[in-house]
Amino acid sequence: MRRLPVADPGRPVDRSAARYLCWLVRRSRLTTAAAVGLAVTWMGFQAMVPAIVGQAIDAAAQRRGTALLGWGLILLFVGVAHALAGIARHRFAVANWLGASFRTVQVTVRHANLLGATLPRRLDAGEVVAIGTSDLTHIGGAIDIAARSLGGLIAIVTVTVLLLHVSVPLGLVVLLGVPVLLLVAGALIRPLHRQQEAYRRQQGRLTGNAADLVAGLHVIRGVGGEQAMADRYATESRALRDAGVRTARVEALLEAAQVLLPGIFLVLVTWLGARFALQQRITVGEMVSFYAYAAFLVAPMRQLTEAIDKLTRGHVSAQRVVTMLGVRTDLPDPAAPVPLPRGELADPESRVVIAAGRLTAIAAADPVDAARVADRLGRYADGATLDGLPLAAAALSEVRRRILVVENEARLFSGRLRSDLDPAGDGALPEALEAAAATEIVEALPAGVQTRVAERGRSFSGGQQQRLRLARALLADPEIMILVEPTNAVDPHTEELIAERLRAARAGRTTVICTSSPLVLNRTDHVFYLEQGRVVASGTHHDLLVAEPRYAAMVSRGDLP
Amino acid sequence: MNRPLPVAGTAQVRRYARDLYRGHARMFQAAVGLHLLAACTGLAGPRLLGELVQGIQDGARIAELDRLALAIAGFVLVQAVLIRFAHVASARLGERVLARLRERFIARVLSLPLGTVEAAGTGDLLTRTTRDVDALSKCVRFAVPETMIALITTVLIVVALLVLDPLLAAPLLVGVPLTVAGTRWYLRRAPKGYLRQNAAYSEVTDGLSETVEGARTVEALGRQGQRAGRTDADLRRSWIAERYTLHLRTVWWPVLEVSYVLPLVITLLAGGWLYLRGAVTLGQTAAAVLYVQQLIDPLDRLLNWLDELQVGAASLARLLGVAADPPAGRTPAREPENDRIELRDVRFGYVAGREVLHGIDLTLEPGERIAVVGLSGAGKSTLGCLLAGLHRPTSGSITVGGVPLGELSPDRLRAHVALVSQEHHVFAGTLRENVAMVRPAAPDPEIRAALAAVHALDWVDGWPAGLDTPVGAGGRLLTPAQAQQVALARLILADPHTLVLDEATVLLDPRSARDLERSLAAVVRGRTVVAIAHRLFSAHDADRVAVVEDGRIVELGSHDELVAKNGAYAALWHSWQGEDQKERAPQDAPFP
Repeated sequence: MRRLPVADPGRPVDRSAARYLCWLVRRSRLTTAAAVGLAVTWMGFQAMVPAIVGQAIDAAAQRRGTALLGWGLILLFVGVAHALAGIARHRFAVANWLGASFRTVQVTVRHANLLGATLPRRLDAGEVVAIGTSDLTHIGGAIDIAARSLGGLIAIVTVTVLLLHVSVPLGLVVLLGVPVLLLVAGALIRPLHRQQEAYRRQQGRLTGNAADLVAGLHVIRGVGGEQAMADRYATESRALRDAGVRTARVEALLEAAQVLLPGIFLVLVTWLGARFALQQRITVGEMVSFYAYAAFLVAPMRQLTEAIDKLTRGHVSAQRVVTMLGVRTDLPDPAAPVPLPRGELADPESRVVIAAGRLTAIAAADPVDAARVADRLGRYADGATLDGLPLAAAALSEVRRRILVVENEARLFSGRLRSDLDPAGDGALPEALEAAAATEIVEALPAGVQTRVAERGRSFSGGQQQRLRLARALLADPEIMILVEPTNAVDPHTEELIAERLRAARAGRTTVICTSSPLVLNRTDHVFYLEQGRVVASGTHHDLLVAEPRYAAMVSRGDLP
Repeated sequence: MNRPLPVAGTAQVRRYARDLYRGHARMFQAAVGLHLLAACTGLAGPRLLGELVQGIQDGARIAELDRLALAIAGFVLVQAVLIRFAHVASARLGERVLARLRERFIARVLSLPLGTVEAAGTGDLLTRTTRDVDALSKCVRFAVPETMIALITTVLIVVALLVLDPLLAAPLLVGVPLTVAGTRWYLRRAPKGYLRQNAAYSEVTDGLSETVEGARTVEALGRQGQRAGRTDADLRRSWIAERYTLHLRTVWWPVLEVSYVLPLVITLLAGGWLYLRGAVTLGQTAAAVLYVQQLIDPLDRLLNWLDELQVGAASLARLLGVAADPPAGRTPAREPENDRIELRDVRFGYVAGREVLHGIDLTLEPGERIAVVGLSGAGKSTLGCLLAGLHRPTSGSITVGGVPLGELSPDRLRAHVALVSQEHHVFAGTLRENVAMVRPAAPDPEIRAALAAVHALDWVDGWPAGLDTPVGAGGRLLTPAQAQQVALARLILADPHTLVLDEATVLLDPRSARDLERSLAAVVRGRTVVAIAHRLFSAHDADRVAVVEDGRIVELGSHDELVAKNGAYAALWHSWQGEDQKERAPQDAPFP
């Protein structure tokens, strides 16, 4: 099997779901062609078995012992060849399956990277994540079945021709019978899907419910609610049970139909064959092989039904991928980006002006206002200027390189801690950890910075995550750093340490901190105090404490001077 | 260091299976009986077909053929009907058993000691509640009935062959050694291989989720290359795992197929030879060959479901390990004499040999407000958990009115003491359910009163659906501050006499926190309040302050006393007040 994933997944076609699927096929046309060829070979060997059995029985009936032995050995050879073709076919099927689903993950991740901050604004993250959890399987399945069912189709045609060759009326019965069977099975598949979909949704709800419960276990154990939670789970669980029985009812019909329809079809073919044999229009051996052919056709026919089903699902999933790939960034680069100058970073709307190379604080009566200013200053929204030039006039990548906004929603990524903090591996890691008061966190880890971080950094407490996030930002060492409430989850002693060390670590660089903590404010060069999203006062922390009673009330929470 | 949750042993699983059978004997017998009948009718086809062949050979009349064909059609029809009922019957049984088991499992999870969960890691429990429940469900819904049908069919076909002629059944034995050897080889390797494959796949989806959900962070830090690299590395691991299981199948499948083909060839040759010798009829030979061919499908299904069954059995053992774990023994508790909580020489460690609290003595007088302060990691939150009965002390005692907390059932315990921590989880459901989970029968006015007490009623009433608004995952997202208000509203509705507030207002903006604490104080007047805080506002207002340092209470007294004492608390207070900034950061000096 070819090494996967490929280094470069290529540029996907995102005009329509069907075209996307075709693109995937084209990307792995060699293995697809091999899968089709092997599917035909495999089916071919399988189709030979009834003919050989028929010939052998004829030989026995005619008392030709050597011919019987000959046909027996041929059967053995074909059986082994069938087994080998089968496994080769399976290997290519897996390669196609993996190729398509891996490529889909790759293009999804690359496009998510391209969208960046646009993604949460324009797409439901859950929908995109569903690409990884379910669409992947459906797309892989569609590509795989497309190749295999093509083989099945070829087998059906071949057998029909063979049958027509032996007996035209019998051949016609098979030729007309197959589509009828397909149609009836197809009619049952749609309601089955509806039920299965309902079941899957309910199962998702139940799983979500259970995960929710485990995530909140600490809360439940603190204040109670076990009974309410158990009852709620039981309600969902019973709904799932009922959905399961409803699905089973439709499945049962389909199962019954899958026995009844080919069965009746078989009887018809055999009965006609027997009559012809009795009239000596065909031999007994031919009659047995007719039966066997009709039985053989059931498999490729089922595969065709499966193909219709899987292609439909694959199409729906590809639609979701294409929708995601079709979204474009909502902060596009200007046609002719200008290089960003250096200078004062200003937000005209709030009247905040950040002097280069200084440590500035934004203290807002409502912290949401400060976060909005940070969004504009970092160009997650338009409005801010650098040295008078709108940030929107420059290339976004340059803005991102020069200005870093660090917010508490920013997550730690799983994997080794070192590779998240300092991916390039060239930063001053110990210094950054020290400045973020995070040295002791790392020292407590079993393998220090080489320790693997759990998904979303869940194994760290809120305060620890905050400090590690700060260390990561310090290592990125941007020209302008904007920190949103960087210390609201740590104790005052640590907060003080951070405020002190951050000042030293960022000396000479531009730093903005959105905070209302007096411990931090008191170590900044300049403070803007915002009400209703506008600067109402500015100066040093101490100036403001004296001159602005509302500011003093905010930082001391109302009762201290 | 991790102490995984228990896994049920073979005996335990067997006992469960036995109880299960006893509890559902009727349904079980009905399902098996129907499948058996269906399989029996399925066997008539080849037999009658053999007669058909014989009939042609003997030059039977057309009417005879028609009768035989009609009989085959009749059997097919009956088989189809039986299959329909058998399928529904086994699904009904399977769904019921699954629902019971998972409900029992969850009920047990809810009563697990928190220490057990934390020692195992939430990941273990989460895997069991989600993946194992799903894996078992898949196994019970598909693997179990399919295997059962396949087994019944296989047995019946073998019986039919024996009835036809024992001599013609003998060639079946040729395939057995090959099948057994190949399958044993495969099953020894498969479960681990598939588990690794699934784990690798989860890594891929987790990595994708991280990239998608953290898209803004990726952009901010310019980590696009790193994320793409991580995805490719995950995919590579997934590919390696897939390649391994593919290798297993590459060996096993051809072995199986050859083991099917050998008996077929030998039956054909032996049947032909026996016919030539006049030992059997041509019809018998044809029927035998068709039976052997018919055997391939159920046998193949049976063998191919085996690994799925193994996975299901492993999941079952993990679920039963928790579900059957006996609840922590509770002696029939005495009634606490009063509301006083006393800690005597309490020691505690999450992990044996690593003590976090070293001998805490503390008495909470009913109605007093006590603030617990100290640096991060000093053991404040652990102390809070012990006070609320979430953990049991390793040694020493915690009693309420003379009765150890551990002797009280969770319900009764929480009539005495409850805790709200900085972990503010919003459960998926309506806002009403979120608040009323502690007292599901609470009437709306009480819920509203609880929300009003934490200043949340304004924003709740601002929502069109009010209390009925869905919140949590999939619903309206609450801000951290709102989530914390909801947590406090729960506490008020739960109405215990002692409240432990662990950083319960830290996420609110300072002014709201201040307001909320005041209104909370009014609501809980007369109750004992333990406020754990790293910000010292609450300490200032408390009756007593306990300073925790390195797992010990180093100072205990009122704010004024402790400030006057000029010890650890005074130092914390001063630094919080920022009174010493002059030495540390000269005011208007430019950057150093």
